Amino acid sequence: MAKFVALLASGVAYGAILMLVSLGFVVLFKATGIVNFAQGDLVTLGAFVAFWAGSSLGLPILATYVVAIVGLFFCGVIIERIAYVPLRKRPPIVVVIATLAVSVMIEGLIELWQGSSPKNLPSPVGTAVWHVAGANIAMQRVVIVIVSAVAVTAVLVIFKSTSIGRQVRALASDGETAQLYGVRTRAVSVGAFGVSASLAALAGVLVAPLSAIDVTFGFALMVNSFSAVVLGGFVSLEGTAAAALGIGIIQQVVGGYFLPGYSDTLPLIVMFVVIAVRPQGLFALRSSRL
Amino acid sequence: MTVPTDTPPAAHARRSGRTLSASVGNRSGTGPPVYREHRYLTWVVLFAVIAVAAPNLATGQADQLSLNVWLAYGIAGVGFYWVFGLAGRFAFCQTFMMAMGGYMSAWITLKLGPNWFLVGVLGAMAVTGAIAAVIGLILSRAQDFYFAIGTLAVSEVGTVILTHTTSFSGADGSTVGIAAPEIFGYAFNSYLQMFWLSLAVLAVVVLFAIFLERSPVRRHAIAGRENATVARSGGVPVVKVQVMLFAFGSMLGGVSGALLGSINSTVNVNSFGTSLAIGIFLMLFIGGIGSAWGPIVGAAFYVAIPQVLSSLAQYQKIVYGALLLAVIIAFPEGLVGALRNLAARLTHRRPPVEPGATLVERLSSVLPTGKRRENDAAAG
Repeated sequence: MAKFVALLASGVAYGAILMLVSLGFVVLFKATGIVNFAQGDLVTLGAFVAFWAGSSLGLPILATYVVAIVGLFFCGVIIERIAYVPLRKRPPIVVVIATLAVSVMIEGLIELWQGSSPKNLPSPVGTAVWHVAGANIAMQRVVIVIVSAVAVTAVLVIFKSTSIGRQVRALASDGETAQLYGVRTRAVSVGAFGVSASLAALAGVLVAPLSAIDVTFGFALMVNSFSAVVLGGFVSLEGTAAAALGIGIIQQVVGGYFLPGYSDTLPLIVMFVVIAVRPQGLFALRSSRL
Repeated sequence: MTVPTDTPPAAHARRSGRTLSASVGNRSGTGPPVYREHRYLTWVVLFAVIAVAAPNLATGQADQLSLNVWLAYGIAGVGFYWVFGLAGRFAFCQTFMMAMGGYMSAWITLKLGPNWFLVGVLGAMAVTGAIAAVIGLILSRAQDFYFAIGTLAVSEVGTVILTHTTSFSGADGSTVGIAAPEIFGYAFNSYLQMFWLSLAVLAVVVLFAIFLERSPVRRHAIAGRENATVARSGGVPVVKVQVMLFAFGSMLGGVSGALLGSINSTVNVNSFGTSLAIGIFLMLFIGGIGSAWGPIVGAAFYVAIPQVLSSLAQYQKIVYGALLLAVIIAFPEGLVGALRNLAARLTHRRPPVEPGATLVERLSSVLPTGKRRENDAAAG
């Protein structure tokens, strides 16, 4: 029982992190039709910016989080400027490869800036643990779940009931018509890149205290959150959020009990099966166009 | 009635009664590629130049190693050109195929002896081709991103499995002590001897690539990637062609991995990670995505950059990333395409329009119906 509770807790926390990363993908995809392969490196960069703000500037922990989230918003804007704007008229897949190029550049910059030795980001709740049903759950996981829940709810509300949300949804369903109705595509795409990068930074600073951070630390998170995005069909925010939670739990609980060495592969296997059976995602309707 | 200036060849061709089979999904309206040029001579000259110049220029061990790595990467690059350039399948697993080929060949030669190298290469091709065929069939309905992410999953899961299967791939996915390959009793001990072997393999690959360029497979692949629905209704076996090219391209990845294993005498799963995956994109995009030449030229750049910029070793990743971005933005047709256009401009000729040479043409799935009607009107 204790083992199950511990695994479930880490599964829910991991799912919450995946939720943030994959919502970043979906927000960007809805606004621009682009999948940003640098998302994983933005997670890493967010954690490193917070580490730098804490260790070099000596800011308190929460202030470092703000620095990371705001800083990454501007990183997202820069990525939009260098890797998306010049390629606006080219097919989306070219932009995807451009974001891959950006991802290598970010890795190179982090190595140059902070070196390749692993770093430790402090947790705002320290090493506190929560004893429940015989299991010791790191307080940080509780923080992760609460903060992610607030952030995800905020994103959902913004999407459902604000003007910006309606504009993005209009762009997602029919870009040309949305433009005819005066949706400012360019402003929306800048905002979407920024928000998506900020979500990555939030995921980065939340998950970093659980382990050491190095240059490749965001990549696995990104690959696993692809599974959630694919399950949600790249369009459904709620579907993606639910899928992220499910995948986190499956990976930790099923992987922890039955496949200890291979738990990292479970989200990928789930995703592969989904792509094979329903290439348009579980929560998306099929649409085709000549 | 006016003929749009950028579309006369198709109109002329149709008027003059030349048949152009299935002008499917062809944006520029010039019809499908008709193979006119006999490139055998060009290739023979190129290979002769490489064979004469390279061993004389690269006298040091490090340079000869780079040469061999270039040839091996070039082979993998040609394979990726078939998958991504021709068939338009955004596959993310070419580096995994290279790793798989390396392990397979190493496993066979370590079990049976170095004189079984050819069997090792065949084994590498068989296993990578089989994996790719199965994956290609399973993912045959997945488009662009989904195929990319699906193959990324294959690559990641495969890497994890390879690090665990100690009896096949060595401890922690590292096979060491691969002996120099032997073919019919002749051992390729030095880097120079490996150079000749790699060059010979690349020559065979290029010959096969030329056959493929001339065959209907190329036309089918282009039709399928430009607009699968239209191609299918025109009788093109889209899935079959795409799966076949994916399997062929992955086999070349396997061959490349087998050669790399012999060149380095080790195979390590970590050397086939994301950096090399980006490298393969870089090779294809630097060289140009519209021809089998491209990746070979691009591989030369990819291998040469660290040599030329050795003082900037710490900036290597940034340089690669910035270069890839710059090439994508500034040279959509790659260096080969840019040079071809420059040559055409210097000789005041129209650049040869290769359908699908540019990415914009290559990946657009929506036909410009207005222009097509104009063409038809011009033809009729």
